[in-house]
Amino acid sequence: MKLLSKKIVLTGLLTFAFVAFIRGHFYAQVNTGTIDLTGGRRVPIAIAPLKNLASGDDARGVGEGIADAIANDMRLSGWFRVLDRSAYIEGPQSGITADAINFKNWTTINAESLVKGGFSVQGEDLVVELRLFDVYQGKLLVGKRYTGKVRDFRRIAHRFSDEIINQFTGTPGPFNTRIAYVSNGGGGLKEVYFSHLDGTDKFQVTTNKSINLSPAWSPDGRMLLYTSYGQGRRSLYLYDLTTGRHTLIGEQNGSSIGGRWSPDGQRVAVAFERGGNTDVYILDRSGRTIRRLTEDRGIDVSPSWSPDGNRLAFVSNRSGNPQIYLLDIATGNARRLTFSGSYNTSPDWSPKGDKIAYTGRVSGRFQIFTIPAQGGEPQQLTSGSGDNEDPSWAPDSRFIAFSSNRGGGRYHLYMMRDTGENQQRLTASGGDDTNPSWSPRLE
Amino acid sequence: MAKLNAFWYAVIIVIALSFVACSKTATPNGSGGTAGSGGRTPGQPGPNDKSGSSDLGTGSGSLSEAGKGQSPETPRSSPLQEVYFGFDSFDLSNDARATLKRNADWLKANQSVRVEIEGHCDDRGTNEYNLALGAKRAQAAKDYLVSLGIPADRLSTISYGEELPVCREQTEDCWQKNRRDRFVVATGRPSS
Repeated sequence: MKLLSKKIVLTGLLTFAFVAFIRGHFYAQVNTGTIDLTGGRRVPIAIAPLKNLASGDDARGVGEGIADAIANDMRLSGWFRVLDRSAYIEGPQSGITADAINFKNWTTINAESLVKGGFSVQGEDLVVELRLFDVYQGKLLVGKRYTGKVRDFRRIAHRFSDEIINQFTGTPGPFNTRIAYVSNGGGGLKEVYFSHLDGTDKFQVTTNKSINLSPAWSPDGRMLLYTSYGQGRRSLYLYDLTTGRHTLIGEQNGSSIGGRWSPDGQRVAVAFERGGNTDVYILDRSGRTIRRLTEDRGIDVSPSWSPDGNRLAFVSNRSGNPQIYLLDIATGNARRLTFSGSYNTSPDWSPKGDKIAYTGRVSGRFQIFTIPAQGGEPQQLTSGSGDNEDPSWAPDSRFIAFSSNRGGGRYHLYMMRDTGENQQRLTASGGDDTNPSWSPRLE
Repeated sequence: MAKLNAFWYAVIIVIALSFVACSKTATPNGSGGTAGSGGRTPGQPGPNDKSGSSDLGTGSGSLSEAGKGQSPETPRSSPLQEVYFGFDSFDLSNDARATLKRNADWLKANQSVRVEIEGHCDDRGTNEYNLALGAKRAQAAKDYLVSLGIPADRLSTISYGEELPVCREQTEDCWQKNRRDRFVVATGRPSS
């Protein structure tokens, strides 16, 4: 038992890495107003490897690693064209402030924006300065200084990526987040993982060599709900990233399907199956049932909260086939939202509240749609010969993650704009990656 | 966010230790809090598995087989044959009813046997909806067997949705094989 305790405390401390302590300070911010990115124009941006401000070698590859991560985020956003590093005239050890940069070196290669910065590593401690410049005006747009641990250097990069997108669009980007998902590693069993959007810093949440499904983030990004057959019968579990503990919540008789946190983090909506029929329930944080919300004889499953916490989107086949319904929690009244097609499932309510993304079947294939939450015409975002499933909104409501087996073969995770533009593959594991859940913004 | 200093690390360690000390929480992970309270290998419930409301073990079912890298197939020699369903359907076809009658006859001749009915789906559509659909399929077979005179307490149900297919080809032939109820004789427990 003593050994066990040690192991768990160690696990606890290690998982603290996921609640990372990165401090950031603005030291310059010029409000330039937002730049118009409509019309599909991509801003040409140069992202220089960071200058090593300390005396030692960059053995961990922080200088290039941060530039690589920002460049990849800019590409994934669809708003930028990242200029090839081999064309850069200034080397990494050149100046990193407006008065020390020769902006002609950057206009020559047609850059409109430039990211430069410096870093210093001391033991495990890392200090990073990052600056975004308007190349034509030779002007600093935003500068930030971050302190953290070397192992978190990609987190720092993603935070600055979100600052860059904030400068251009008036809203921070979606990259300082995580994506939780299910992967089968190429075999028959499924485990829950999470990683950054770019697939880095991957962490395996479940290790029970069973079937684990439907990860869902808590609103503070510190806990995950998931459904597991790890104890033989299917149950809902809560994983705490801070302590590394897994806790069974809700019914313990093998009846749970899915589970989503309310926006205030105080309740969980879940489906329980009884006598073959599945209905939607609300639990408190400890897993005690507060209310049963559906009573009909059809399947009711996959609840997703409205951002104000007053309504749930869910799937019901009460009309004969699965459709998306909206339920008013106070009154218990449900009304049907989707009327096109005979198979509409896996709703996810946008954090902004105006749209619901879901999976619909068209010509025998599954595609991602959005529909206005007040009802109306669905918009089909994906097409083609593959199956596209399980949409999950980014916290900024401008991007959607989903899984797709396009191109034949395995399922991988993708992200796209909520217009369907700029569909980009995120994962490349040897297995099937499915059930994405996009975390809230991390601190 | 405030920087953690040594004091707060100490507080956290104390809290973590107190969790360990009183941890009786069920966990699906071997590395988690119950490693010391049961010692069972997760995903491969042993003969003494008492989890869930059912008295039937799951040690011989499809999940256990998948855990050993085996295909969750019913052998042709099995006295309890599978029944098959249409896409997004849990209606019992005439063929399914005929198969269930044969299964019921065998269950009447073997009164001590208890059976877990597994509902399965093809891999198209959404995992969560398919878990609910598999439950409907398993219940449909259970209700029919009960109507044929098999006591309900000899029959338990579990849905595996689309999670444990017998084949993975994207063809109607394979999808049809996966849209099934499987009947697994409960083992590892004395018959009453």
